[in-house]
Amino acid sequence: MIEKVKFFLRLTGNNLWQFRTRNLFSVTIICLSFLTVGIFMSLSNNLRDTARELSSNMSVAFYLEPGLSPAAADAIRQEISRPAFVESVKSVTPAEALERFRTSFPELADIVAGLKGNPFPPSLELRVNAKASASKEVVAFVEGMKKRPGVTDVLFNQDWVEKMQGFSRLAGAIGAFLGGILILTSFFIISNVVKLNVFARKNEIEILRMVGGTNLFIRIPFWLEGITLGLLGSLLSLGLLFIVIRLFPVYLGASLGALQELLRFRYPDLTQAIALLCGGAATGFIGSATSVSKFLKV
Amino acid sequence: MIELFHIWKQYQKPYWALSDVTLQIDDGDFYFITGPSGSGKTTLLRTIFREILPTEGQILINGINILKIHDNRIYTLRRTMGIVFQDFRLMFHRTVFDNVAVPLQVVGVGRKEIRRRVFNTLQKVNLHQKMWELPAHLSYGEQQRVAIARAVVNNPEIILADEPTGNLDPELAFEIVTLFKEFNKQGATVIIGSHDRELIRHFGDNILFLQKGKIVGKEAHG
Repeated sequence: MIEKVKFFLRLTGNNLWQFRTRNLFSVTIICLSFLTVGIFMSLSNNLRDTARELSSNMSVAFYLEPGLSPAAADAIRQEISRPAFVESVKSVTPAEALERFRTSFPELADIVAGLKGNPFPPSLELRVNAKASASKEVVAFVEGMKKRPGVTDVLFNQDWVEKMQGFSRLAGAIGAFLGGILILTSFFIISNVVKLNVFARKNEIEILRMVGGTNLFIRIPFWLEGITLGLLGSLLSLGLLFIVIRLFPVYLGASLGALQELLRFRYPDLTQAIALLCGGAATGFIGSATSVSKFLKV
Repeated sequence: MIELFHIWKQYQKPYWALSDVTLQIDDGDFYFITGPSGSGKTTLLRTIFREILPTEGQILINGINILKIHDNRIYTLRRTMGIVFQDFRLMFHRTVFDNVAVPLQVVGVGRKEIRRRVFNTLQKVNLHQKMWELPAHLSYGEQQRVAIARAVVNNPEIILADEPTGNLDPELAFEIVTLFKEFNKQGATVIIGSHDRELIRHFGDNILFLQKGKIVGKEAHG
């Protein structure tokens, strides 16, 4: 048994080397296909994580009428503290809001200095616990509070969270679509490369049949070739993906400004990396198996 | 023992490549099948090798009807035979050793044993010194000897050779048939398809004459 395994591995190695130019071409195509899948996967990872971070830090700001009595403001605070999804509520005075603005936008200090009064209203900042973020319950509560007397406006970052989640899904879908097309292409390329190899080795196959080689014996080297090509292609794509992720912020990322955060790539996790490798091997195997069964009548 | 009963083979109507061939070849026989081009020599050998199926008739090898063997099990039959063709059918990108080792690799013989048996067989055909060369670097006669070595390395019960000397000059042809004779002496049944009268006259123990697919004569000198 071990002898046979060694024999098949040796034979596969010899065959891969014999048709190296053709095989290099298929490895390149597989690599590019899986690199595309990998890039979109990594982009989708980033958007998904950003959406998750935003969700976990979701806050709602309730702006109160200027000059609202402390009792009325306290009543509103009591009311918004009641729901179970509320983690904390913090009062922000107009002076604190002005100070925050000064700190956040120092370049606008001149404008702030020229103001006659404080334009910021008092507000209450509510932090929602991570589990309930952007849930229907929160949205309904916020909508109700918008109409409450004493509340002039409500700022809610639910839209951002939903957009991020949407972008993440979109990036995943584009990756799956483009990657799917490219993987299908590489599947046909492998299939054709193996078909060419079968034709080129027709004489050898004939000899193997002549000396009593079983169908399995003749087919195994072709299957192994397909798997090896697929594995090499996806392994190479994984390597290139790591290089792209590392070099992207250095060469391109800076020019993207604010978008850099959104278009940042994240390394695929171990499961995703293994999935890419298995995908490559499976593409190679299916490509060669279909070709061999079609063109190798033994 | 090889037994053929009323074998008919038609590739294309209305011509019969073999018509009503009935024949018995005993174990250890040395047979020449001869006749002009198109007489059915190759078809007969390919039928015995189960490479093609006859249109009618039955073939028994050691009592087993080989026409009833399922396509997926033909390898079991082929492993008991060695075949040599006029065009050698060698793997030209592999060494002489690799070419001769193939029948042993197919049955899963260990590497050391393969080395030993391939070397011994190549020694018999006097090619052991060219074991690591590519067949393309060998003469026609040497290439044919590689093909013979491949056919006999597995100690087959039956050796079939279709015009094995067709591409060779008379001296080399003589040498090649002498080799077949050696393997026959060691117990193998040898059937050679040839139209070389000189060789047949010299070596033919049993001669079968074919014409237009029919047996038109038999001679036994053994």
